[in-house]
Amino acid sequence: MGKFWTVRIASVVAALAGCFIFQTVATNLGNDYYLRLFLLAGLYVTLSVSLNLINGITGQFSIGHAAFYMIGAYTAGILTRAYYEQQPLLPELWLVIMMLAGGLFAALAGLLVGLPSLRLKGDYLAIVTLGFGEIIRIVATNQQSVGGSYGFSFGPKVVAPWMVCLLAIITIAICRNLLKSAHGLPFLAVREDEIAASAMGVNVTKTKVAAFVLGSALAGAAGAILALNEGYLNPDIFKMDVSFLILTMVVLGGTGSITGSALAAIFLFLTIEIPRNIQTADGQKVQITLASLLMAGLAIAIAISLLRKIKDHFHGPPNQRLIRNLGVIGGSIAGAIVLSMILNATTVMGDKTFEFDKLRMVILSIMLLVVMLLRPQGVLAHHEFSWDFVKRLFRKDHDDKAEVAS
Amino acid sequence: MSESPLLKLDQATIQFGGLIAVNNVSFELNKGDLFGLIGPNGAGKTTCFNIITGVYKPTSGKIFFRGRDISGVPSNKIAQEGICRTFQNIRLFQALSVLENVVVGGFLRHKTGLFSGLTLLPNAIKETDHLREEAMKLLEVVNLSHVANHRSADLPYGMQRRLEIARAMATQPDLLLLDEPAAGMNPQEKDELKEVVYRIRDEFDKTVLLIEHDMKFVMGLCERIFVLDRGLEIAHGPPEDIRSNPKVIEAYLGEPV
Ligand SMILES: Nc1ncnc2c1ncn2[C@@H]1O[C@H](COP(=O)(O)OP(=O)(O)O)[C@@H](O)[C@H]1O
Ligand SMILES: [Mg+2]
Repeated sequence: MGKFWTVRIASVVAALAGCFIFQTVATNLGNDYYLRLFLLAGLYVTLSVSLNLINGITGQFSIGHAAFYMIGAYTAGILTRAYYEQQPLLPELWLVIMMLAGGLFAALAGLLVGLPSLRLKGDYLAIVTLGFGEIIRIVATNQQSVGGSYGFSFGPKVVAPWMVCLLAIITIAICRNLLKSAHGLPFLAVREDEIAASAMGVNVTKTKVAAFVLGSALAGAAGAILALNEGYLNPDIFKMDVSFLILTMVVLGGTGSITGSALAAIFLFLTIEIPRNIQTADGQKVQITLASLLMAGLAIAIAISLLRKIKDHFHGPPNQRLIRNLGVIGGSIAGAIVLSMILNATTVMGDKTFEFDKLRMVILSIMLLVVMLLRPQGVLAHHEFSWDFVKRLFRKDHDDKAEVAS
Repeated sequence: MSESPLLKLDQATIQFGGLIAVNNVSFELNKGDLFGLIGPNGAGKTTCFNIITGVYKPTSGKIFFRGRDISGVPSNKIAQEGICRTFQNIRLFQALSVLENVVVGGFLRHKTGLFSGLTLLPNAIKETDHLREEAMKLLEVVNLSHVANHRSADLPYGMQRRLEIARAMATQPDLLLLDEPAAGMNPQEKDELKEVVYRIRDEFDKTVLLIEHDMKFVMGLCERIFVLDRGLEIAHGPPEDIRSNPKVIEAYLGEPV
């Protein structure tokens, strides 16, 4: 067991070091706005990886993950407002208790929603989770005790970046452990073929519900962190956009891949948040002309068709294919810029412009579309990060050929 | 009085709308039997497997396993009871590796809890390693150990059929149901399969009930055969009798084999 403890202690030390670095970076950003982005990106990692447990690993189509995020947040908010003053605990300890409470309530809600809908075959879960997300939002909007649509505030704020990091690490560790041990196989088996899984003795309903409840609980814990970080909640924070964003993260990252979900969470969150605040030197919002927009659309369409051609007909070594792919993408971008400059110089298009930040959701949809067309299994497909992969990158003699041949 | 039969169908009947897919079928299997179920396409053979393994509940009649009524018990419980099957239209866990497919079967008898898995405690690691070793042994039996780490969907047809057998064997069943295991195999693969089935029965002490279309294969392998046509029993007995039974020849064989 010596090796077990070495690995385990090393992992815990690495996790703590990660939290420490996260905390240090967060506190040195020097700007409240950046700090908030940083924390939210971290929370989205938890949300995306936990949804991946349900959608990617177990194959159940849940599209209302924000509902459980919201339940965790409201639980923490309500309990903090009611009890924080009467207890002597440190704020950080209170945060941990709120995370547990938020996770517990979200898990109960998950059980309530999941049990009836997961017993049935077919995509009932998608419909039910979608409806559930809207229902609890409407309930909160009509509850004056939590401020209705204006929301409510509560104190104190507990801004603990390291906790955001720790929750993300715990979420990733849980999912990875599951896939490393034989316990993960029934979940994957249910995703692959319910009838065969059941014939092999897997309790299909129980497995689905377990994944759903666990995923919901983790989202609930993330909600509690959000609540205490903001000190204020309203129902609009948990609109359907949020569920859609989390779902997009899982799909783009590669359904089933923990690494993919985590990376896509950070990447996508920043993609939609940063344009909100890009400004020109004189503080104006960035404007984009209709011509540029059309050319960008055209470039994407051409790039996709060329990339598909390469994908289908090119059988050379991977690095040559990569070069061609990058060439196509670069060429399209360059072409689009040149053409839109020419068009803008003429008066054909008039001077119609759009605010760039209004296009956030358009960018998101286009990215989803591009990935679905070129790589339906998601960017990372089912691949995971592993140290073996890193080692192979740094080794000169590539022995992957031998592996394929064996 | 000898011990009760391992499996007993007692007037099992299942009706889908107006169609009686299995009609009053009764037979018994004793421990160690190599039993064949044959009949033309659509006769209700696969449906028999489906009611035995709890995919469907019989409309009437009963199924006993080791003397216990198991009609309508859900599939996963049936597997725990000790009956496991393969599928006519192969149903592997396609994205999983060959080895992982077999470990899913073995996981049925797991002892550590989900919490150990989520936290990767030593007992879960140990159990995982153990299940992988056991799975590896079964892959050797069906001659697939050299492709253990390949994606199961990438295997050729014949190998996929053998993998399904290994996966079912991993659940440690007493009764193994094979649905057209030789379909799509070439003569050499069929001979190898025959050896595997004998080994499963003799070395691993299993009882085997198999559906097969290849008459040479069934007649050579099975000690008792049950013939089904349009849901009804038309004959039941040792291969020699079946071969010369006029009803069977008329309904199914076409000409004497
Ligand atoms: N779930 C079902 N619903 C309706 N009809 C079914 C169902 N399953 C099987 N059948 C019908 O039952 C009959 C027997 O099918 P099956 O058992 O698959 O035949 P086989 O002997 O070729 O394996 C067929 O006519 C088939 O269409
Ligand atoms: Mg059939």
